[in-house]
Amino acid sequence: MANIDELINKLARDGTVIKPAHHPVLLSLEWIAAAVFYLAVALMISGLRTDLMVKLHEPWFVVEIATLVGIIAATSLSAALLSFPDLHQMRRVALAPAIAFALFALVMLFAWRADNPPSQPPIHSVECTLSITMLAILPAVWIFFVMRKFASTHHYWSGGIAMLAAFSVGALWLRLYEQTDSIMHVIEWHYLPMILIGLLGMWLGKVLLKW
Amino acid sequence: MTDNSDNFATLMKQALAGDQRAYSELLQDTSRLLRPFLAKRLSFTSEVDDLLQEILISIHKARHTYDGKRPYKPWVYAIARFRLQDHLRAHYADHLHHADDLSEIEETLQQDVTESAISYESISGEVEKLPEKQATILRLMHQEGYTAREVAEKIGMNESAVKVAAHRAYKILRQKLEK
Repeated sequence: MANIDELINKLARDGTVIKPAHHPVLLSLEWIAAAVFYLAVALMISGLRTDLMVKLHEPWFVVEIATLVGIIAATSLSAALLSFPDLHQMRRVALAPAIAFALFALVMLFAWRADNPPSQPPIHSVECTLSITMLAILPAVWIFFVMRKFASTHHYWSGGIAMLAAFSVGALWLRLYEQTDSIMHVIEWHYLPMILIGLLGMWLGKVLLKW
Repeated sequence: MTDNSDNFATLMKQALAGDQRAYSELLQDTSRLLRPFLAKRLSFTSEVDDLLQEILISIHKARHTYDGKRPYKPWVYAIARFRLQDHLRAHYADHLHHADDLSEIEETLQQDVTESAISYESISGEVEKLPEKQATILRLMHQEGYTAREVAEKIGMNESAVKVAAHRAYKILRQKLEK
């Protein structure tokens, strides 16, 4: 008891003016703005797919891109909420990525059915996953760096969602850059690796988000 | 209830503005709030005190994540639960670790019983030949089933010292059994 009183006195003496952290919505908007900027720079360097204007007239491609953007928004918001010990008391909103991914899976299912007869897959395969991962490194580092300044009480989920947010940015970039119509290729080498990335993120969260 | 919550939030706002007296009051009130919560979940008063100190430090580190615009209690309980889970995880890991040590000794013991005819009685004899403190620690941990932490409390040592002494004792016993 005496120790606790002593500790309280010590902590109170350290109690200087503290600026409260940004609201998670604002924080996620900052991340999304940074992602948009990063994506624009990446696309300026790599160039856009040459058939983009044609593809933008295909409803399933547009819906896929829109859902991917939704995933980036949902994961960014969720990661921002998970940075707070109490999820900023918006627990349900933190589950937004589950809805976004469910919607995305549905969209991919319809896009796959619409890809009939199936388009020829490109010769390359794992190169796509590697390219997305390479592009996602910087956003991932940035998100983890920011999250470490907070106090997450959900290390695994925070890490997993942060990695998914970063990987989605890479996936969007490749979809706007790589000229392929094969949905099977896209599912197999662009989107399914997200599961592994999420698991890797959970492990990273456990290691990096301790406080 | 609402008044009480409002009071916490107000104190925290003042604390964030640099008011040390308000901060001290807030931490005192928080410690009074959390003590029964922890006491219900932990067996020893010393454990409650240790964990409470850890939680207060965590509150101090994470105070920038509270803006005073939402209820204080869910925020503070989220931190308390998080630290409690950490503590319990470490506690059970400790139990498992010692269970492993014991099973290792038992394995050695069985091998040696068949190979060199060393009996349980002679092992007990070997334990008694250890320095008094090591022998007491092994007796308490493996005959009476205490954890390292409980042994530490009982004999007035700290937990890590108990673990170190136990490991040294295991080493000596293994060497003697291998001869």
